[in-house]
Amino acid sequence: MLQVQNIEKYYGSKNNVTCALNRVSFDVEAKEFLAIMGASGSGKTTLLNCISTIDSISAGKILLDGVNIADLSEEELAGFRRKRLGFVFQDFNLLDTLTIEENIGLALSLNHTNPKTVQNLVQDVAQKLGITDILSRFPYQVSGGQKQRAACARAMVAGQSLLLADEPTGALDSKASKNLLEIMSAMNQDMGATIIMVTHDAYSASYAKRVLFLKDGRVFNELLRGERGRPVFYHEILDVLAALGGDVSDVI
Amino acid sequence: MTLSKLSLRNAKRQAGDYLVYFVTVVMAAGLLYSFNGLAFSQEVQELSEKMDTLPIIIVLASIAVVCVFGWLVSYATGFMLSRRSRELGTYILIGLTNQQVARLFFLENLSVGGAALALGLVLGGFLYQFLRAILFAMFGLPYHFSLAFSVPAAGLTLFYFALIYLHALRKSRKRIQRMKIYDLIYFEKQNEGMIIQKGNSRRLVFAVSLVLGMAGTVLLMFGELMTGIIGSGCLIAALFGYFLSFASGVPAFFDKYPAQKYRGQNLLIFRTLSAKLSTMGIIMAIISMIFTATIITEGSGLMFNGLFRGRSAENACFDLYFAIEGEDQDPSPYLDYIAEYIPVEQSVLYQVYLTDSPTVRDYIESQTVYYYYNYEQDPILRWSDYAALRSIAGYPTVEPEPGRYLIHCMTYLEEPLRNYDQPITLGSITLSPGSVCTERLSQSFGVANGRGYILVVPDEAVDGLAVHHLAYAAKTSQPVPAAQYDALTDIAATEYNKQENPANYALVSTKANEDAQVAVQTAIFVFPLFYLALALTMTAATILTIQQLSETERYRRQFVLLRKLGMARKEMAQALSRQFAVYYVMPAVPPVLIAAPIIFHLTRVPEPGVMVGMSSPLVIVAISLGLFFLIYSIYILLAYTSLKRNVLPQ
Repeated sequence: MLQVQNIEKYYGSKNNVTCALNRVSFDVEAKEFLAIMGASGSGKTTLLNCISTIDSISAGKILLDGVNIADLSEEELAGFRRKRLGFVFQDFNLLDTLTIEENIGLALSLNHTNPKTVQNLVQDVAQKLGITDILSRFPYQVSGGQKQRAACARAMVAGQSLLLADEPTGALDSKASKNLLEIMSAMNQDMGATIIMVTHDAYSASYAKRVLFLKDGRVFNELLRGERGRPVFYHEILDVLAALGGDVSDVI
Repeated sequence: MTLSKLSLRNAKRQAGDYLVYFVTVVMAAGLLYSFNGLAFSQEVQELSEKMDTLPIIIVLASIAVVCVFGWLVSYATGFMLSRRSRELGTYILIGLTNQQVARLFFLENLSVGGAALALGLVLGGFLYQFLRAILFAMFGLPYHFSLAFSVPAAGLTLFYFALIYLHALRKSRKRIQRMKIYDLIYFEKQNEGMIIQKGNSRRLVFAVSLVLGMAGTVLLMFGELMTGIIGSGCLIAALFGYFLSFASGVPAFFDKYPAQKYRGQNLLIFRTLSAKLSTMGIIMAIISMIFTATIITEGSGLMFNGLFRGRSAENACFDLYFAIEGEDQDPSPYLDYIAEYIPVEQSVLYQVYLTDSPTVRDYIESQTVYYYYNYEQDPILRWSDYAALRSIAGYPTVEPEPGRYLIHCMTYLEEPLRNYDQPITLGSITLSPGSVCTERLSQSFGVANGRGYILVVPDEAVDGLAVHHLAYAAKTSQPVPAAQYDALTDIAATEYNKQENPANYALVSTKANEDAQVAVQTAIFVFPLFYLALALTMTAATILTIQQLSETERYRRQFVLLRKLGMARKEMAQALSRQFAVYYVMPAVPPVLIAAPIIFHLTRVPEPGVMVGMSSPLVIVAISLGLFFLIYSIYILLAYTSLKRNVLPQ
């Protein structure tokens, strides 16, 4: 589904260049749940921004279903984000002037979905994520976990095929985090969503089927969960983090 | 870092954050100084002895303007305090006392006000020159640029500013001293909680306000005084009801028609608006009322301007004119004085006659609104006198039409009189209708060339007709000075008092005196009205703009998210401009609906024939609205460009 080929990303001016991504390559299959881990400054969020077309790459290619996203115009990129990508952010990014229902429906409205069907589609997705009772509330009236589930609903309501999550559990307590990760797993397994999740939390990453480790802008290691149970996978992730050479506390 | 350094740094940053507000305060200082300059200027007062009331009028207008700007500064200071509550709370958290924070806030606002005042005095110097140039042009005097600093004008401006700022800062100081750290740090959260409030009562108010709005507009359309008052009351109530309940009206509408919510960009536009209105409904209603007052004030200014100019233009067509009511009057006291003191190039002494019956007047009354004051019959002028009057006034000659009578009238009577097809009979001579001329011919006095119209007939046709008055018109070598005009009016008064039973009055008019009168009246009535209107528009538009620009960060976050969700830049620019348009149009629509009929009604109050051409009712309504929207759009443009630059992703 997604092919990232030798991408590089440089920031800064002539005399002060920072390499954020250095020849990063990997593929993501459809219906996969991939976690990208790394310490602060390792390039995780830059990578996610490049995949989501919010940021441009300096070299390499990103192909989505064989289409090089660098070849798309600004308008085509907007359409691409609208139809194909769903976002879940650490700070929820819900508009505080809209109700939860409207925040979810906004994605459909941007997609020019027939206005008459919007409410039904929102109801459907809300039911799947267990947030039907808070639809008429405003973001400031619901908990962090509920906000994040609403963000998940918005990320998939328009039938987006790739869900990009940037530290989705970063602002949640452990109970809400667990709840959200179970929902994301269900979205992946039951609804067939392809998920790429950036996190520095080993516990969150253990819900993925595969984990990519970034260090200084390069892919340092890759870990497949296979048939192993989640607790075992969690410990393996911790082992890799230890092998990364940094302080484990940086990434847990 | 000392408190004063911190104050200065904050003041600089504040000026950047609230640039539009700062510019308005500078303008306010400039306006106050320039008008104070006029009030204190010896040169301006010497333009005419009637200008001695100007300082009082300007001080009165300035008091109103100070109240308006005082409200603006007080509102903006309170608003900035709310926006910066977290920062101020942090100062207390790190150990400053409430008093110290209050002093900090006081000092930085005082330095912003001081800087605005200093810049305003410079700007005011130029504004004063601009006003001076207009005044000199109105008095027909040559203007020379001379930049002078008026200490009393600056002193009074400083006094006004001190009042404005001390009032606003006293309020803020009290507020800060009462506030607790928690309130300051979590102030924004309190606001957030108020974003949307639902409730059936609000929906009811919304519905009632719409009905009241419609009823008020219809009542105003009747144009009657009583219905007008009730209608205005309804509209004011509607204004408050509408803005206070709009926030819940939108969700109610969307609940009823959910499909409309997700159509196009409705969701973004109306939700942002209703969120804004739910916290500033009362302010929006006040702004709407200020806009109404602005447009009506501008309309009144234009109406007075049109009235003074209209009356004067009609009367000022001859350099010198006098008339004495009644038959067999003796003009020699006047003529002797003129012969001795006023060089005359061309003149005519003539009589205005009356027909036996007012047939033309009756016809006019059946066709249009007409006040026939002082003429019981149709007035008549001889061809030869008429030809001389035209020559003196500088109009092209009109060829006599044998067997016909010519009608010379004011423009507002032209249409009905062109359709008049009845002959007139004067003694044994019957004349059929001829041409109609409409140049200005001094036709609005009681002893003038008719009241609105006069019939011009062959010289021989006036034999045996009654004389209404004796008149004299002249073209002088130079404008008649005020002293000579006064001397002639003294003669008129003396002659009047000589009569055993004073009944026949006399009138003296000069073009120079009429022009001076217009200039004085404009300076005394029109200038202060526009001064006030400008202050009102600037205040209301600034508050709207401060509110809008304070949302820059929220808008920026909104558009960053929308970009991630796949909204194209073009669509984002569209959404922003629509959000903007709705936000700025909303408080301007009710004022236009209320003020336009009121101005229209006002401009129809003066006697017919004066408010014509550029002063006709519809033109005045259009110019009033145009002036208002011109200033308003400057603020809109400033806010839009600033917001577009800062919130739309590149």
